[in-house]
Amino acid sequence: MTALNELRTMRRKRGEPKIAAVSDLRKSDQRAALAFLAPWFLGLFGITLIPLVASLALSTTDYDLLTSPTFIGLDNFTAMLTDTRLHESLRVTFLYVVTGVPLQLVVALGLAVLLNRGLRGMTFYRSVFYLPSLLGSSVAIAILWRQVFGEEGLFNAFLGLFGIQGMGWVSHPDTALWTLVLLHVWTFGSPMIIFLAGLRQIPEMYYEAASLDGASPWRQFRSVTLPLLSPIVFFNLVMQVIIAFQAFTQAFVVSNGTGGPSDSTLFYTLYLYQEGFTNLRMGYAAAMAWVLVLIVLVLTAINFWASKFWVFYED
Amino acid sequence: MAVTLAACGSADSPGGSPTGSDDGDQVTITFAWWGSDTRQQITEEVIAAFEAEYPHITVEPDFTSWDSYFERLNVAAAGGSLPDVITQQERFLAEYASRGLLADLRELDIATDKIDPSVIESGEVDGAFVGIATGVSSHALVADPAIFAEAGVDLPDDATWSWDDYEAVATAIAEGSGGTYAGVQNYSFLEVVLKIMARQNGEEVFTEDGELGVSAETVEAWFQRSVDLMEAGAEPSASVSTEVNAAGVEGSLPATGQGAMAWFWSNQLDAIQSAAGRDLQLLRPPGEADGVRTGAYLYPTMYYSVAESSPHPEEAALFVDFLINSTTAGELILVDRGLPSNTEVREAILPLLSDADRVGADFVAAIEDTIVDGTPVPPVGAGETTQITQRVNSDVLFGRITPREAAERWLDEVGAAIS
Repeated sequence: MTALNELRTMRRKRGEPKIAAVSDLRKSDQRAALAFLAPWFLGLFGITLIPLVASLALSTTDYDLLTSPTFIGLDNFTAMLTDTRLHESLRVTFLYVVTGVPLQLVVALGLAVLLNRGLRGMTFYRSVFYLPSLLGSSVAIAILWRQVFGEEGLFNAFLGLFGIQGMGWVSHPDTALWTLVLLHVWTFGSPMIIFLAGLRQIPEMYYEAASLDGASPWRQFRSVTLPLLSPIVFFNLVMQVIIAFQAFTQAFVVSNGTGGPSDSTLFYTLYLYQEGFTNLRMGYAAAMAWVLVLIVLVLTAINFWASKFWVFYED
Repeated sequence: MAVTLAACGSADSPGGSPTGSDDGDQVTITFAWWGSDTRQQITEEVIAAFEAEYPHITVEPDFTSWDSYFERLNVAAAGGSLPDVITQQERFLAEYASRGLLADLRELDIATDKIDPSVIESGEVDGAFVGIATGVSSHALVADPAIFAEAGVDLPDDATWSWDDYEAVATAIAEGSGGTYAGVQNYSFLEVVLKIMARQNGEEVFTEDGELGVSAETVEAWFQRSVDLMEAGAEPSASVSTEVNAAGVEGSLPATGQGAMAWFWSNQLDAIQSAAGRDLQLLRPPGEADGVRTGAYLYPTMYYSVAESSPHPEEAALFVDFLINSTTAGELILVDRGLPSNTEVREAILPLLSDADRVGADFVAAIEDTIVDGTPVPPVGAGETTQITQRVNSDVLFGRITPREAAERWLDEVGAAIS
């Protein structure tokens, strides 16, 4: 808007005619606009809004997909209180988010700082480090993961070089989830790119001033980089928590859709899928989806509240 | 003649001009099935043969892998767009039938006079004939004689061996080979062996009335034996078992040459043998001779059902009749969908079978005499049993619960699923 205002002022000064207001647009332009917006509207209503409302309605029903839903009020929600598998899936998902997200952000930030030093061939490295993020949530990588961390996998072969006896990392309930956390950390690309953009915004003069005062690189990082970058850290944290909560593909593929062994990789979304599509409890699955929305909402609200204490805005 | 030709033309190009007056009788039906690429090729050949015989019918193929088949079918049912002819599976037959989604095949024109009555019965739910079994197979132990020989263990006499013999043989193989080979692959990720054990004890996992009919003792004994075998080194470790189980037929112990025995369906021998690259054998389940009765049963590999909602039930019935009763179809399908339930078709294809498939067919023929009866169609909700069994078995193998607790949990959870 400010750009448009500036343009208007410029033109007025030069004595040129005013820019037409939106209401002056010809009818055909409006129609064209509508035509161009139509695909988006169709998507918004057909793929997002209508299903959203429908799932809210379904969450209050007993619906087995094969026959019409019957209204049961809040029974689905009360049933969740005693569903031990649901509690297990929440435990697994929280563990994944609480460990995976911070680790991923630390790696992303570390690499962003390194890449920001203006090495030669920077763009090349940036692309290389971003690559895992393009692949990370794909089925192919999940299958690869199963191979790498399997009983006879690459990782055990690597350990074997040092005479360490490996184990079936993806097939043991104590370690399976950690292989998925590792996979999540490995897809640090998009927060890294955002951090990198943030680092570019920090004026060079702060560092010059800091080094004149004799601050060590670590001190500079702590007292200049981190505070100025904190809004970006906050943004990444919020986004990644939301994304991590919805993780599905990795667990689905690595565990063959079972969430096993022993429910150790039973992500919330995976359990939701099993209930809805395999066990024919679509009403319950819809209710679970809304609880997920609620959980993410609350966590995001907590994040925003907590940000008051550590996020530093320059102006 | 002109009409036939025109109909022929549109049969080759589905969705051809709907305005043409000549193909007013042209009917399109959809056929859904799951399975491998090989099955897909076979089935398309069968469809082509059918369309050649019935030029006025076009069959639209609709296939997916097993993993997503029922998820897709469930969604289609929800949307009221079930395919006309559906490939069904034991565990979901009652689920669909009880909701009125499947037509009663007796009201349609499908010949069943060449099919064993007990096989027909296996497709009846509440008196309605909702699925016709494509073929049968029987659960057996696939055994690798080469590994037996290397470990210096004799192949057991499978007509008389007991469960204790089974444990002794498996342990002897692990010990005889110095731990190079496992004796047997873990069986308790799937409930099939439990079904056999229960029947040997005079019980039935799911009764005729759709209830749980197996005692906690039997379930406990079933889990206990697999834990004992693992602890004795006769079965691989828990995490290896988990991986092997997920690796399917081609990744099974006999297929990869890592173990002497594994439980499979008799019609899977061919696939395991070609993966192994050497001749394997089929052994009867242990405990058949010294139980209350025999436990083995003929398992209806899959079923063909006609959707109640189908706008063309007659044409759908014609197609099912062709799949089941025509030798042309039989010669293309062979034993891909089990040993054909139509005994005449079965005779006709025997000379065409591969060696391994012949072994499987002979095995079923030999065991047929010892079989007392079929198993009742599992009740609504039984589809969850596989998931539950996998989960509980993992917990037992990794030592998180005892076989006793596992039995209780298994009964609780399966009981809740079918209630």
